[in-house]
Amino acid sequence: MASEKKEIAALLSKYQEEILDAWHRQLIVRSNSLMEIIGLTEAKSFTQGILEHFITLFPLAETENDENKSYREIDDLFSDLSGKMTSQNISPSEIAVFIFSMKEAVFPILQKYIDNKDLSGAIISAGRLIDRFAVNTFEIYLNTREKIISEQQRAFMEISVPVVRVWHRIIMIPLIGMLDSERTQLMMEVMLTALEDTQSKVAILDISGIPVVDTLVARHLITAASAAKLMGAECIITGVRSRIAQTLVQLGVDLGDVVTRTTMSDGLQLALELTGQKIGE
Amino acid sequence: MKKTENNKNPSRAEVWEQEISIYEDIILARQKVKVMMQEMGFSVLAQTRIVTAVSELARNIVIHAGGKGRMSVCEVSKTGKRGGLKCIFEDRGPGIENIEKAMQSGFSTSNSLGLGLSGAKKLCNEFYIESFLGKGTTVTIIEWLP
Repeated sequence: MASEKKEIAALLSKYQEEILDAWHRQLIVRSNSLMEIIGLTEAKSFTQGILEHFITLFPLAETENDENKSYREIDDLFSDLSGKMTSQNISPSEIAVFIFSMKEAVFPILQKYIDNKDLSGAIISAGRLIDRFAVNTFEIYLNTREKIISEQQRAFMEISVPVVRVWHRIIMIPLIGMLDSERTQLMMEVMLTALEDTQSKVAILDISGIPVVDTLVARHLITAASAAKLMGAECIITGVRSRIAQTLVQLGVDLGDVVTRTTMSDGLQLALELTGQKIGE
Repeated sequence: MKKTENNKNPSRAEVWEQEISIYEDIILARQKVKVMMQEMGFSVLAQTRIVTAVSELARNIVIHAGGKGRMSVCEVSKTGKRGGLKCIFEDRGPGIENIEKAMQSGFSTSNSLGLGLSGAKKLCNEFYIESFLGKGTTVTIIEWLP
């Protein structure tokens, strides 16, 4: 069987050009949109690489797997292919068609040059390897997708903390999303630096954009307020809605000396008073 | 506490489960509970209370159980009368040595306010905690529709 497989591999290698031509014709017919996006030249480099690996891998026993160097190489090739296609929003089914259409290029060659008695065996083995290629690309496609998702998640978590200078010696920091320790660290740094740079006396932290105010958020707010106090500045927390107030009371959180207001405008009013300023009437 | 639900109405026994291992999972858990409560017709205040409790309990899994736990949420009904929402937080963490102490306000083994567990208890209608050293902790909370 092994020697037969070698013969088949030699046969495929001999008719490589013919197979590639047939494959490209298939691609143009069956996945026109994909070819339009990646272009024939690029498609050719992939088909050629895949066929070369196919010929190398075909004579190997099927039990021999991922340890093999050729398998790793083809994994790289597939991840390149999948990565390119994922970034261009090509659907996984189109990628699958790309691989499966190889069958229609390889099988006719086998039919043409292999005796009837060996033909079914050869087709089964070739089909199995192509299936395996397709499964590989699909796995790699999924991995690429997952990587993109987790990167986006990270980017989303890192939305920076903006500082708004609302008035002379008054800064405002709108807080949004989840206040985890990293974000809080960033918020503290940004706030303290801004207090120093602008010589501000009041920092307004607006928590309207924080969906859930739990004990962790409360602790962070208390810490921020006491840090501001050390710099001789006052911290006003705005955006404390009634349901948040009730929840905090039930939680048993004591915001103690932290000054809070329901709305931003109340907070600003207080800030103006604290800095001895007035908006002209 | 048995894990099987004594749900009288099997058609509503849909259980939603989620692994809690990283901070992002806490966000997902909160969002899921919020959406379910909205659909069930809880008031905004009740939603805020329970979502806050979920936030505390889910974070306990991330911080104290090393992210080895899960949350399951389902609708329950009390002899067919009132509907309610039940959330179970199970973890395979180290367990709590002294539950009474852990339930006290201000007690904390991490650098927190120490109000998470005691606060969560105050935020919901029913609260059950069970813990085995070396095995893990299970917290169940139920909120009934008014």
